[in-house]
Amino acid sequence: MPGIQYYDLRHVTGQVTHIDIDNGVVESAGTSFFNKAVIRVLNKTGWGVIQIDNFSPCSGKKFEALLESAGRLARITREKVVLGQVPRGILPVPPMKEDPREVSIEEKSSLLSEIEMAARHPLVVNRRANFIEKIEQVRFTDSSANEYSYEMCRSGFNILAVASRNGNIQMGYEREHSIHGFNLRHRQPMGKKAADVAASLLDAGTAKGGKMRAVLDPELAGVFAHEAVGHASEGDLIHEGNSVLKGKTGQKIGNDNLTIVDDPGILEFGFDPVDAEGVAVRRTEIIRKGIINAFLHNRETLSSVGNGDAGHARAMPGEPPLVRMSNTFIEAGDSTQKEIFEECRDGIFLKGSRGGQVDPGRGIFQFNAEYGYLIKNGECTTMVRDVSLSGEILRTLHGISLCGNVRTMSPGYCGKGGQNVPVSDGAPYILLCDAVVGGSGVD
Amino acid sequence: MRWWVAVAWIEHLLKEGQKSVDEVEVFIVNGTSVSADLKKKKINLATRSVDCGLGIRTIHKGRIGSSSTNNPDQWEECLNAAIASGKLATPQEWRGLPEPEPLPTAPISFDASLSIEPPVVLDLIEKMLEGANKHQADVTAGSASLSSATITLANSHGVLYTNHYSGVSLSLEAIRGQSTGYEFDHSCFLDNVDPVATGQKATFFAAESENGKDIATGEYDILLSPIAYGELLGNVFIPALSGRNVHAGRSRLAQSLGKSVADPAIMMYDDPLLKKANGSVHWDAEGTPARRIDFIRDGILETFAYDLKTAYRFGKTSTSSAIRGGFGGLPSIGHHNFIVDGKRNTVSDERVLYIHNVVGAHTANPMSGDFSVEISNAFWMQGGEYETPIRSAMLTGNVFDMHHEIIGLSKESRAIGSMILPSVKINKQRIIGK
Repeated sequence: MPGIQYYDLRHVTGQVTHIDIDNGVVESAGTSFFNKAVIRVLNKTGWGVIQIDNFSPCSGKKFEALLESAGRLARITREKVVLGQVPRGILPVPPMKEDPREVSIEEKSSLLSEIEMAARHPLVVNRRANFIEKIEQVRFTDSSANEYSYEMCRSGFNILAVASRNGNIQMGYEREHSIHGFNLRHRQPMGKKAADVAASLLDAGTAKGGKMRAVLDPELAGVFAHEAVGHASEGDLIHEGNSVLKGKTGQKIGNDNLTIVDDPGILEFGFDPVDAEGVAVRRTEIIRKGIINAFLHNRETLSSVGNGDAGHARAMPGEPPLVRMSNTFIEAGDSTQKEIFEECRDGIFLKGSRGGQVDPGRGIFQFNAEYGYLIKNGECTTMVRDVSLSGEILRTLHGISLCGNVRTMSPGYCGKGGQNVPVSDGAPYILLCDAVVGGSGVD
Repeated sequence: MRWWVAVAWIEHLLKEGQKSVDEVEVFIVNGTSVSADLKKKKINLATRSVDCGLGIRTIHKGRIGSSSTNNPDQWEECLNAAIASGKLATPQEWRGLPEPEPLPTAPISFDASLSIEPPVVLDLIEKMLEGANKHQADVTAGSASLSSATITLANSHGVLYTNHYSGVSLSLEAIRGQSTGYEFDHSCFLDNVDPVATGQKATFFAAESENGKDIATGEYDILLSPIAYGELLGNVFIPALSGRNVHAGRSRLAQSLGKSVADPAIMMYDDPLLKKANGSVHWDAEGTPARRIDFIRDGILETFAYDLKTAYRFGKTSTSSAIRGGFGGLPSIGHHNFIVDGKRNTVSDERVLYIHNVVGAHTANPMSGDFSVEISNAFWMQGGEYETPIRSAMLTGNVFDMHHEIIGLSKESRAIGSMILPSVKINKQRIIGK
């Protein structure tokens, strides 16, 4: 078609089943359906994109009319876009241990209720459990005759326990989301853990803010990698000049023990068999032995920025792909957990994550632990609550002095450009020197 | 889809549903939007979206079911899924969906003259860039978008309301060295957005924040911009006003009705009927006629927000606070135009730490209100002038407690999403320097 250099179509259909139980009451439970498509057309000056709800696959004149319509939109674009050459291929979606579709919603509801009931505790005033199961059928095709299709199911649950005493309200929160199939069975201990944490936090102190040594558990250290390094390595931000990592390739910003990776191909919650531009996914070592090594790209930023790998384009159904992380982690080192606490001596141990945020251009990040413990003489002592960490990307990574020898991953969702995509973050236990800890405690 | 075509199948759907359940409600969204995204100073991508979807709610003997789809042809499957879903729900006290009322039909949040077309978007982008040129900073990204939607709500009691919405939104990001600036604007009316000012403020904050100085740990009087205040208010305080959170034990304000929860100068209310405001409606998301709710008057907490479900369960009355994020899912408790008001004065005559934005407000503890966030585009301010920028620091405190320490509200307010907020001056808040 004249003027059109490239087009692609990503059509996603599927269904979402959810159950919401609040203090023993099934608030809602059921299934909804969706059908969304996005068509992207590239002409000489940029992208024209059409997002369509309830898309009916079409060909011939009808499809050409859609391409023309997208091409007309692109008339207001002004940036010449070149797409990088990329490897193709699709990974197999791993088989599920138990397909959630083969479990009745009544049984799901009953199992979720058991987890919710396990969060009963004399100090817990509210228990809320949610189950969500999303099945997506993805079909991708482009003007270069690449065609991929796959089906993915992601399912999991959250359990929140709220404890209250004399006006003090605290919460404990556990979650497990998976690509490996139905995971509601035998999870009552997670309900109990949420309740125990919430109740314990009623007696927790507040941390005194300031610089100190911090031990981060694998979940929080994973969020640290995601916020402090992952976002700033996204090729679109590098291209826009909105990342402190721009132009820093080869620069040492961490110790030799620090390697940070994003890999959409590993079988964790952020797994993609093929990316949203039909590009084969691959492991990208963003930081290798403390040195800025490679960036995350889509085809466009691979061409405009270079240094890194395409295969990191991801999209919600019906949305245009963005450069995104998938499974992001700090590689395991060689320290034992005992060595890390001993080396810390006096500081703070931070556990779990309430999320984080980064300003990649300014190079400042913030993230919050669910709770922590003061460390004295290498031992955990007083429990503390509402502790956050903030830091500067180019300074803080040097502070990671020890990495543990076992890495674990935690599932979650990441927001960017109005799109939330499933991700996992992980790390071993790490020791962070000169951490800036935010807490409301004072001497 | 043409409106009269929609009516025919809506009636069919409602009749079919009533064969199996006591009540049926359908919520239908049809919309379109056009947007353009900037990469640096060039438009890289232009998008048009065509959105449609419907959500069905069924109620049978107090059991509420729901389902949604964006294929209207699939409504029967969707209806069956909603009915099946209701069978799983725990029954509750239910006194019926709203009856039809003679409500005004002229939309409040709709710019009928708005053309959802690329040239309008292009013009907005060019004006933003014109504004951005006024300060020495590089544009990194930005966007402009136009949208319109038609919402239809119908139920088996004869409610058949339709409303039209429009929206214009702008944003621009800029950088100078390692100093970033971000600004946005949005309105339902094209004339109400100021793209030149949006661009100008984005580069102003990037340029003006460069070469920030350190600040020592300690307690300072702070001035939160509407953006920074909105982050803390929206993530912590407003959810605590939801009747559902109150009755579930998830609100720190649960025991505070009739008590002081803010400085006596503070008022907080939801005014859904405010002309030209972004969230204005004549009826809420389940068809209850919209009305003003005064949550806090003279610092005293007077009421919580309710939708029908929560109100029926706890013996209350709906405050017309039901909202929907889209066509899917059940309605939930929210607000339309949440306004913080009170005596206004000049808030930056005396030296104060001005905080334009915060990083990480969503990580605050929504139950206790405790938070610690990184501050962005912060300055020492005096006589209304931005003086020394602050390089980096954390603000830590408690969102509920800080409302007792409010010592001033700025003369101007601005819309932040569905909130309309002034800048708020607060006594002695803790800053952690680096």
